Parts: sequence; C-alpha cells; structure tokens
Amino acid sequence: MAYSDKVVDHFNNPRNMGSFKKDEEGVGTGMVGAPECGDVMKLQIKVQNDTIVDAKFKTFGCGSAIASSSLATEWLKGKTIEEAQKIKNTDIVQELNLPPVKIHCSVLAEDAIKAALTDYQQKADTQPIDTK
Amino acid sequence: MARSMCWHCQSEVTGEYFCERCVKVQPVSKETDYFTCLGVPRRLTLDPKKLEAKFYELSRTFHPDFYQTKSTAEQTISLSNAAVLNTAYRTLRDPIQRAEYLLALETGSVKDIRTSPPADLFEEILELQDTLEEYRTSDRGSDQGHQLRAALQAEQEGLERRKEEMESQLRQLFADWDKLQDTGEATSPARAERNRILKQMRDLLSHRTYINNIVNDLAATIA
Repeated sequence: MAYSDKVVDHFNNPRNMGSFKKDEEGVGTGMVGAPECGDVMKLQIKVQNDTIVDAKFKTFGCGSAIASSSLATEWLKGKTIEEAQKIKNTDIVQELNLPPVKIHCSVLAEDAIKAALTDYQQKADTQPIDTK
Repeated sequence: MARSMCWHCQSEVTGEYFCERCVKVQPVSKETDYFTCLGVPRRLTLDPKKLEAKFYELSRTFHPDFYQTKSTAEQTISLSNAAVLNTAYRTLRDPIQRAEYLLALETGSVKDIRTSPPADLFEEILELQDTLEEYRTSDRGSDQGHQLRAALQAEQEGLERRKEEMESQLRQLFADWDKLQDTGEATSPARAERNRILKQMRDLLSHRTYINNIVNDLAATIA
C-alpha cells in the first residue's frame, strides 16, 4: 500500500526536526520505542506559562513513524498542556490516512507526547516554576 | 488437535488431522497455536531437525496437490491448512521469532508484563544516528570522513558484541523456561520464576531489536 500524500510530505519535509537541551528550563522530553519494529522516537516540548511554545522531534523508523511525530510537533505548538493531553493517536491516523499496519506508528507518537508531558510536569514539580 | 465434530460425517473427531470415521481431512482451527499445529511441545529449545521433519511430514499430509481429485471442501481445507502450516514453521524455526511468538501466547494471560523503555539505549541510538547522518553528508575521502567511519565501525563492532551477549542470555532464559515447563509446578515460586523469565525475555528481545536496527543501519552506511 502506498503512503498517503500527507505522509510523503511530512517525510520529505519533516517539520520541527531537531532537539532541545534536556535540562533546559521548561523542556519536557519523551523518548519511546516500538519493540516490534525497533523504531525510536524522541519528542520534546518547550513550555512557557502552561503553553507549548515550541516542539521538536527526532525519529528513526519508517515513513509513517516520522510523519506521525512530525505532525505531532505541529499540532503541539500553541497548545496548552491540557489541550495537548487530548491529542489521540486516532486523530493522527485520520489526518495522515494511515493504513491498519501503520497504526502502531501513531500510537508511538501519542506515547511520545504523553511521555514528554509527564517529563515536563515532573520537572516543573521539582523546580520552582518560572512565572515571568 | 481436539475438535468437536467432523465437518463431513458429524461424528466426533478423535484423529489428529483426519476424521477417523470418514477419513476426511479436518481444518486446523484458527485458534490452534503454532506449537500444537506442528505437534511440538511449547518449548523454546527445539531441535531444528525434528521440527523440519515434522514440517515436511505435515506438508505432505496437507499438500493441495494430493487433493486435486477430492471435493471442493477438502481442497479448501488442505489449502488453508498448508498455509497455516507454512506460517507456523516459518515462525517457529527461528529461535527469536519463536520466543516472540511464545511471549505473545503467554502474556495474553500475564498482563502485568510492563517494561520500561530503555532510555539510555534510546539516547545512545539517537546519538549514533546523528553521527551516521554526519558521515552520510561528509566528504568520505576527507580526514573527517575517515575518522567518522573508523568511529562508526568501532561502534558497530561493540554493538554486535552486545547483541551476541544478549543472544546468549536469551538462550539461557530459553533453557530456564523449558526447565520450568518440564517440572510443571504451579506453586507460587514457580509462578514468580515464570514471570521473571517472561519479563526478562521481553526486555532482551526488545533491546535486541533496537540494537539490530542500528547495527543494520551502520552496516549499510559504512559498507
């Protein structure tokens, strides 16, 4: 089955590829992997005043995994923490038109979002929150 | 393979793959696991020769060529049995796939096998992928290109050693599993041992897959 145009677009022009320093203030890092296929995904968010101002990713895996995480970073930007929690893998499946065999890629992206949010909150809980 | 009723004569099926009464071939049920399908015990250390012999034997039994003069129903059954058999053999003949398959079967009942993602390994892989990318875009004839290549080669060798080490740990776990199955105990230490084996196996198999991927990438790039 061929990849959808949107997957190909994200694969050829990945948005927000790269990374932040893990210990930078307001940065949450999510690192997840899919043991079945060996794909590894790192997704980071930068939060200011409860809003995600920037997001970056690095993914080593198939086209769908790259597209899923690329799309996730696009969606995350500008969202509040609470809104970001609501992103579901099914939204990614729908947007990218992923075939059934690639649904686990979208699950991986959702897991990465959740992991990044958890990491951010854990860091925020142990550090004084920047209220500027 | 216990089946309730023969599709043809409606008598109870007592034979393994055929009805003993009307001698019609019986479909291998979709729920039948691959170990049962190939008539081997649910063990992780299987004799490849015996497995192969069993596969050939059953292949002859179900081969569609031998059903050309039979009814359409029998032809359909032989074809689907042959297909299941092929998948079963392909899965079980490879020790890693066999273990993955057994885990899937066993963890259906053990939901508490939760593994934490190996963050250190992920970091390592991501860093290596960065270096790989650097090498891909570098001038390979330059000093920098040579240095990168040497560094990547060293990484590849190190990872291959780790993979081998993991495989030897896996073989030990396979043996532990089989030993536990042979004792057939249902005591609580036996259950704890069972969960330990399954969890460690899950972790090792996953880590091995991640390492395998990066090793393949390395090999393909610096070959």
